[in-house]
Amino acid sequence: MAKRILSMIINSQAVGPVEVPDDLMMIDFLHEHLNLTGSRLGCGQGVCHACVAILDKADGTSEEVRTCITGVHFFDGKRVRTIEGHAKRDAQGEVSELNPIQQKFVDKFAFQCSYCTPGYVNAATVLVEKLQRQPVKRSELEGEIEDALGKHICRCTGYVRYYSAARDVVESLGLVKEG
Amino acid sequence: MRAFVLAALLPLTAFAADEQLIERGKYLARAADCVACHSIEGGAEYAGGLPLESPFGTIYGTNITPDKEHGIGNYSADDFYRAVAEGERRDGSNLYPAMPYTSYHLLKREDSDAIYAYLMSLEPIAKPSPQTDLSFPFNLRFGLSFWNMLYKDSVQLQPAEGKSEPWQRGQYLVEVLGHCGECHTPRNVLGALQQDERLQGAVILGYEAPSLLADDLAARGWNPEDLATFLKYGISAQGSMFNEMYPVFHHSTQYLPFDDHQAMSTYLLGDQPPEPRKVASVALDQLGASAQQGRQHYLNTCAGCHGAAGEGIPHVAVAMEGNTTLRLNDARNLLRVIDDGIKEQQFTGFERMQPMPGFSDKLDDGQVRDLLHYLRQTWGGQAAELSPQQVSQLRSEKGH
Repeated sequence: MAKRILSMIINSQAVGPVEVPDDLMMIDFLHEHLNLTGSRLGCGQGVCHACVAILDKADGTSEEVRTCITGVHFFDGKRVRTIEGHAKRDAQGEVSELNPIQQKFVDKFAFQCSYCTPGYVNAATVLVEKLQRQPVKRSELEGEIEDALGKHICRCTGYVRYYSAARDVVESLGLVKEG
Repeated sequence: MRAFVLAALLPLTAFAADEQLIERGKYLARAADCVACHSIEGGAEYAGGLPLESPFGTIYGTNITPDKEHGIGNYSADDFYRAVAEGERRDGSNLYPAMPYTSYHLLKREDSDAIYAYLMSLEPIAKPSPQTDLSFPFNLRFGLSFWNMLYKDSVQLQPAEGKSEPWQRGQYLVEVLGHCGECHTPRNVLGALQQDERLQGAVILGYEAPSLLADDLAARGWNPEDLATFLKYGISAQGSMFNEMYPVFHHSTQYLPFDDHQAMSTYLLGDQPPEPRKVASVALDQLGASAQQGRQHYLNTCAGCHGAAGEGIPHVAVAMEGNTTLRLNDARNLLRVIDDGIKEQQFTGFERMQPMPGFSDKLDDGQVRDLLHYLRQTWGGQAAELSPQQVSQLRSEKGH
């Protein structure tokens, strides 16, 4: 099996250099090599979006990437965030404070079985970061949320609460302008 | 008594004949793919509205439901035939040749009448057709009279002597009803079909409508059976329909009887079809340096669905091995698909293909070049490499 060396930054921590198979998928690297099991394997075909991680691009923007259909070497030299990287942690590495998006999802009980939740939190995070750069008019907010979360599938059909939590977090962070 | 029975049955017979005519018209309208341009996605069928982009401006498919104000409710069968076959509206003005009368001028009169009967049996939809938006001087319809003198009868049938019955029927389906040449034949600067390069392929809105000549089809791996299957089901061992052929399949070819697909493929590949070219996959160490680099991009961004060995996943993503797009001489369509992706597709029965993401913002020009070389050299039998300039030029041309 051909192998190749890579390094990347995951949740602000350097990973590698490490030699891994050249056809390894990112989700397997997260699960099997780093024990970061929060990104969920759902369909394995890039449809359900439960597996998305956040790619931080050089221009300061962020986007979702489906880790089940993207090879780990695509991320060589790049910066990535997973669901494990959002909360604040104490000196022992335990979660001490959820970030505002996670907290809102908990407050709104925006999940049922929770399997797809990491993907939704990441999608909402990318949305919030986009709106922090460019706030949205109230009249366009629903469309923005639909664009951001619309590709994610929740088999418990918890969409209303997910969308409602996303709307609340955008509002509470002051990312909506009147109009 | 007998006379009475006959008299009573006559209207019924006439009614049945009308029904048959309408049914035949429905089949012919599908074979001619009228709905593709005369509807918009999600809109009422035949109520018009589809914008057709041309180098001269935007032309809209018109409402051809029997509505008297906005549709063709006041057209007689004669008026309809003149519009379809001669490009002349009821008021005597010229239609723009986005309406393929250059092909339909060969439409049999009885077929025009059947399509007319079918359209007139539909629900009238009171929806105005949008105004065309063409630049000067193309916005002057009378200017088309001169164009028509030169080009109205562009498409001509090939001699049918010695050809089989399916070949002859296929010719009518391909050249006239299906008006395949309107995309697959290149056009001159005045937008007219260049008959001396009939069906030799053309570039439309960033994509290549590939050559349909028998030798070219065979070089891309087509045999009569697979080509007929492709037209019927939108998918075959050579790949799936995408870009402008997907709506053609969706609105038209999937509804035709398999006889018709066999006839079309007989016409295109000929009564004595050439042997399809076999392309053996090439091992990694036999590839050029750029293609070898491209393998890692393939594993990173493609293999999740198309498989590390290019085997594909049924109902998810087509196989790369044997794929006809990889075999095209021009890398344009492969590049466009990599950049633009393909929307989710539904084929005949329960067949589906998942959406393919576009990679225009994920792969830079050098990476795309390496990836193209890997795909084309490994599975496409295309050893020639593109220059970096060719790749950046192709990428800068927007698809749609």
